[in-house]
Amino acid sequence: MRARLGRIAPAPDAPLARARGISSTGVTTPFVYLDHAATTPLDPRVRDALLPWLGERFGNPSSRHKAGAAAAQAIDAARGEVARAIGARREEVVFTSGGTEANALAVLGGARARREHGRHALVGPTEHACVRECVQALAREGFEVETLRLDARGALDLEHAAARLRPDTILVAQMLVQNEVGTIYPVRELARRVRARSKHALLHVDAVQALGKLELDVVDLGCDTLALSAHKAHGPQGAGALFVREGVVLEPLVHGGGQERGLRSGTPNVAAIVGFGAAAKLAEELRPRHAHALQTLRTRLVEGLARIPGARAFEPGAPHVAPHIVALLIPGVPSEVRMHHLEELGVVVSAGSACQAQKQSISPSLLALGLTPDESRTLLRISMSRTTTPTDIDTLLTALAQVEAKLAPPKR
Amino acid sequence: MSTTPPLPPAPALLLRYGELTLKGLNQDQFISRLRRNILRQTSTIAPVRVERLYNRMLVFPEQRTEQIARKLQHVFGLKSISPVWIAPPTPEAILPLARAVFLDALESYRGTPDVGSRVVTCRVETTRADKRFPIPSNVFDRQVGEHALANVANIQVRLDDPELTLGIDIRAEGAYLFARRLPGAAGLPLGSSGRGLCLLSGGIDSPVAAWMMMKRGMWMSFVTFHSYPYIGEPSKQKVLALARNLSKWQPNSRTYVVPFSACQEAIRDGAPESYRTVLYRRMMQRIASKLARAHDIDALVTGESLGQVASQTIENMTCIAAASELPVLRPLVGYDKDDTILLARKIGTFDTSSRQEPDCCTVFMPEKPVIHGDLELCTKFEDALPVSALVDAACAGVELVDFEAEV
Repeated sequence: MRARLGRIAPAPDAPLARARGISSTGVTTPFVYLDHAATTPLDPRVRDALLPWLGERFGNPSSRHKAGAAAAQAIDAARGEVARAIGARREEVVFTSGGTEANALAVLGGARARREHGRHALVGPTEHACVRECVQALAREGFEVETLRLDARGALDLEHAAARLRPDTILVAQMLVQNEVGTIYPVRELARRVRARSKHALLHVDAVQALGKLELDVVDLGCDTLALSAHKAHGPQGAGALFVREGVVLEPLVHGGGQERGLRSGTPNVAAIVGFGAAAKLAEELRPRHAHALQTLRTRLVEGLARIPGARAFEPGAPHVAPHIVALLIPGVPSEVRMHHLEELGVVVSAGSACQAQKQSISPSLLALGLTPDESRTLLRISMSRTTTPTDIDTLLTALAQVEAKLAPPKR
Repeated sequence: MSTTPPLPPAPALLLRYGELTLKGLNQDQFISRLRRNILRQTSTIAPVRVERLYNRMLVFPEQRTEQIARKLQHVFGLKSISPVWIAPPTPEAILPLARAVFLDALESYRGTPDVGSRVVTCRVETTRADKRFPIPSNVFDRQVGEHALANVANIQVRLDDPELTLGIDIRAEGAYLFARRLPGAAGLPLGSSGRGLCLLSGGIDSPVAAWMMMKRGMWMSFVTFHSYPYIGEPSKQKVLALARNLSKWQPNSRTYVVPFSACQEAIRDGAPESYRTVLYRRMMQRIASKLARAHDIDALVTGESLGQVASQTIENMTCIAAASELPVLRPLVGYDKDDTILLARKIGTFDTSSRQEPDCCTVFMPEKPVIHGDLELCTKFEDALPVSALVDAACAGVELVDFEAEV
């Protein structure tokens, strides 16, 4: 695997317009990509696995002729790989269009299927918008929604959670790895409390940031459903999965052909799912080695940041922090300005999570983590994957020092 | 009454000219310009054949007639557009077709909200450009009415402001029957009033200003100032999306993207804080006029509206425009914000303008911008700056982005 991805192409222009001349983003600069929590590059082995399904191999998996059977078989093989990567059984994996749909199916479908047992739902304090906003939709449908709490260190407050659990609690949604700051939440411990107090509750875990980074075992975690996304682990965009523990009932969001055990009707995206299978297999094979390498890179990065005046790594819930995400606070200009200056020097990081950057609003998760609005606006996220090298980290640190010198307030 | 066979789709569109009918001797030039614009605007949808009639134009689309009709509503210089059915100019040929066109229109109208089966008012309106047609218009109206409207339930003739009008335009070439008049964009054909360069920001006003000049026949190009790396690619994409929205009204357009951070840094570091905004804008005017001259453009266009923000006081507008070598047209100068927003919604730029993207980095904004700028002070402050080198460097770094007619 190569860490450098070639060139910043004028790609955003391409569908919009025919761009000519020199792009202001510098057409020919090779760049260091440190935004792997947003998406990861497709692994060439994954591409090799999926490409035949965009070419000579094709078929509708529901068709009863042999082209259909071959597609069905390919999906089933991918299902096995995804199941293996999370310690599930093959039949417990439902393919979706991505992490957002997997989360929506669990949160909306899980709550709606449990209406007769209660209307109380608990949601983690720093969930991704796709979970948070599904829960808000439930509130509009008449569910009673409460938010879990963090303690002073930024870890999940389990005692508070235990106190909020009730016999009529039908849904608990808590992510495993926080996407903006990397905190790993104690889902296993939460699960025990849920089982002890709320026998009808569905425990849903958003594990989109965890695949290939942490050892994932759905039985050990004790969850009922768990969401994954292919493209966060060097797979293609457009495929995701929901683990649905055997016996767990969900109300489908999409009705029709009855694919995916009736939980997700619609002809599946065969190529992307085949790619997801290959990506999950690789992620799991490579994880032990790379998790260690990522930890070393993370230490190198955090130590390097300490040498930049004013900069500090923000690590709520430490030491339970994912090895691939570092949140960085530097007072001064908004993170977006700093991000573009790094980009100009060929280093790509994130100014908050991608969705938040578009909305120009402050992430509710960061506020829940105790940051002030001003601090939130200066937060940069650096995220790595198995393609990241020590040179990438050193390039970032050098570039950041350069940017800080340029952005220092001008002398009057 | 026996059932009428279903009406085939209208084979042609009848176009009525707007203001350009007033243009006397130049009319021919205006009409050929309009014809060219029509061919180019529709070229991305389907091939069309255009025929000129006296005071009218006929467009025959090979396919997608309805979509072409909607596209023609975005062509300046047209008052209205009617899908038409064509009959030989004889009463015997017109009568059965008139009935079919009327019944089709009535059925469609009954499908609109709150109509249903209630009484619908209607009339026939004949015009004879060819007076050789044997029956006077008002007499023919009645004859058609008796034939086309016979035995139709729940309709009532009303000459004044009816809900449905069956139009019959009788000419030597043929009789053109229609029941719909789609409003055109009015104005003058694009390209008949010179070329303008609009300073496009991501805001609501500047695209509306560009549209207003387009409507008066000015062919528009766009220039935007991009302060990378203080703001990023998405901010630029937003402005380009506005240029693309406006390309709905013009067959193609060009946007000049000017790298602007060097200018802003020089002004921030070398001029008094309160004058920054005025000086940034003077720099924009210089760069825009230089680009305009290099590309045969006659005027600059801005979205300024008197008193709307600190840089749009009469003094500051004067300071800013003084840096331009070309006339600065400000079609919104007397507009209230609400009027501009209404127009932005109408022309299809409001949603893009409302997208939240930074258009200028906060590090460049003065805390207290000057309200009543002084031109002499501006030039004095600029004496300390390498103005022409900055302008040249900015122009040398320009990126061009072209759009074809937007669907």
